[in-house]
Amino acid sequence: METNLVMEGVKFMFLGMGTVFAFLIIMIFTVNLMSFIIHKFFPEPSAVNETVSDSTQQDNKKIIAAITAAITYHRQG
Amino acid sequence: MKNIVIKLLASMMLFAFAFSTNAVASEHEQSSLKASAHQEETYQPKPFGEMIVGFLKDTGVVAFVNPDPNELSSTGEKMSDFHKGWGRIIMILIVFLLFYLGIAKGFEPLLLLPIAFGGLLANIPIANIAGPHGFLGVIYNMGLANEMFPIIIFMGVGAMTDFGPLLSNPKTALLGGAAQFGIFGTLVGAVALAHYGFVDFTLQQASAISIIGGADGPTSIFIATKLAPELLGAIAVASYSYMAMVPIIQPPIMRALTTEKERKIKMTTLRHVSRLEKLVFPILVLMLAILVLPESTPLIGAFMFGNFLKESGVVERLNDTLQNSLINITTIFLGLGVGSKLAADQFLVPNTMFIMVLGIIAFSVGTAAGVLMAKFMNLFPGHKINPLIGSAGVSAVPMAARVSNKVGMEYDRTNMLLMHAMGPNVAGVIGSAVAAGVLISLFQ
Repeated sequence: METNLVMEGVKFMFLGMGTVFAFLIIMIFTVNLMSFIIHKFFPEPSAVNETVSDSTQQDNKKIIAAITAAITYHRQG
Repeated sequence: MKNIVIKLLASMMLFAFAFSTNAVASEHEQSSLKASAHQEETYQPKPFGEMIVGFLKDTGVVAFVNPDPNELSSTGEKMSDFHKGWGRIIMILIVFLLFYLGIAKGFEPLLLLPIAFGGLLANIPIANIAGPHGFLGVIYNMGLANEMFPIIIFMGVGAMTDFGPLLSNPKTALLGGAAQFGIFGTLVGAVALAHYGFVDFTLQQASAISIIGGADGPTSIFIATKLAPELLGAIAVASYSYMAMVPIIQPPIMRALTTEKERKIKMTTLRHVSRLEKLVFPILVLMLAILVLPESTPLIGAFMFGNFLKESGVVERLNDTLQNSLINITTIFLGLGVGSKLAADQFLVPNTMFIMVLGIIAFSVGTAAGVLMAKFMNLFPGHKINPLIGSAGVSAVPMAARVSNKVGMEYDRTNMLLMHAMGPNVAGVIGSAVAAGVLISLFQ
C-alpha cells in the first residue's frame, strides 16, 4: 500500500480529538447558559422555600397548641 | 331465563370448539400429506448396518477428530482442518474460561455469560448454529448486522443515566473528552503496527479496534459491525472483559500519575440541579449533535431518548421498560449474537491477539489522558479538581466512577468523590459517541 497509513492515523487523531473537544466545550457553554436562564426565569427554589416556611408555621402552631395544652393541664392539676 | 342463557352459551361454545378442532384436524391432515410427499421424494430405504455407520459418521466425536472436508464456515467459506478440529476444542476451553471469569470473578457476567454461551454454540460442528439459518445466525442478522441492538442498549443506558452531577459542574465534561485520546492514540498505534508490517489491519479495522478505548460496550459493537464485522467477536470480548477489569487496570495508572497531595484534594459540594435543567439537557445535547455531527445522532439520539423519557417523569412505565425488560432482552440477544462470532475460524487468528493487546493499551491511554487533563485544568484558577476523577472520563459507567471514589477514599476516608466522578463518567459516554460519529463520517 502506497499511502502512508500512519499519517492518515495522525490526521484522524487531530480531527477526532478536535471534534470531541469542540463538541464538549460548546456543550459546557450552552449548559451554563441554560442553567443561567433557567435559574433566572424559572426559579425552582422559591417554591421549595414557601413549602418549608409553611411547614415551619404549622410546626409552630402545633408547638403552641402543645404548650397551651400543657399549661391548662398544669393549672387544672 | 337464566337457564336458557346458559344453555345458549354452552351450545355456542360447543359449536366453536367443534369447528376449531375440525379446522385444526384438516390443517394437520394437509401438512402431514405434504410431509409424506416430501419424504417420498428424498428417502431411499437402506440396510440397517449402513444406517448405523451413517449415523456414527454424523457424531460430534468423528466431526472433531476427522472433520468433513466439505464443511463450510458460517460465512460460507472453506475452513482449515485446524479450525474444524483443535480450533473448536480450544474455543470451547476459552468459553469455559469466560464462564469462570463471569461466574467466579464477577467480570460483567450479564454480558459475558450470553457471549460465552453463544461462543460455545457457535463452535459445534455440523449443526451450524451460527450459519445464516442457525438461530445464532438469525439473531445476528436480526439485530447486530444492522446495528439495532447496540442502539436499543443505548436507550436503556440513557434511561439509567443521571446527568445531575455533570449539570452541576459542567467543566468536568472536558475530562470525558480527554479520555477519548485512548481511542485516537491507539488508532495511530494500530496503523503504525500495520505500516511496519507486523499486522495487516486496514484503516477501518484499526478504527474499529481503537474504539475499545472508549470503554463503551455498545459503541464498540456499533462501530465494529459498521467498519469491521469480521473482528466483532474479538472486539466485543476485549471491550467487555477490559470494562470488567477497570478496578484492576486503572488504579496503578492513577497512582503513578498523581501526587499524594493531589489525591487528597477535596472538591466543593455539588449544587442542586433543578428538574427543568435535567429535562432540557438531553434535548440540548441532541440539538448540538444535530448541528455539529449528524453522524453521531443514532447513538446520541437513542441515549437522549432514554434519558428524556426518564426525566420527563410522566412515562414511568416506558422508563421502567427501558431500564429493565427491554435492556435485559436485548442484552441476551446481543450477547448471543456476538457469541456467534466466537467461532474458531474467526476468533483463532493472529489478529485477535493484537486486538487484545491494543485494547488494553487503548484503555490505559484513555485513563492516563483523563488524569493528566485534570492536572492540566488545575493549572488554571478556579475550583480545584481531584485528578482521580479524571480516570472516570473513560465511559464504563458507573464502574470507573466507583474506582475513582475507592482510590480517593484510600488516601482520605472522608473524601467522597463518587458524585464528582459521575460527571466525567457520563460525559465520557457522550464523548465516545461523538468519537464514534467522527470515525463513521470519515469512512463515508
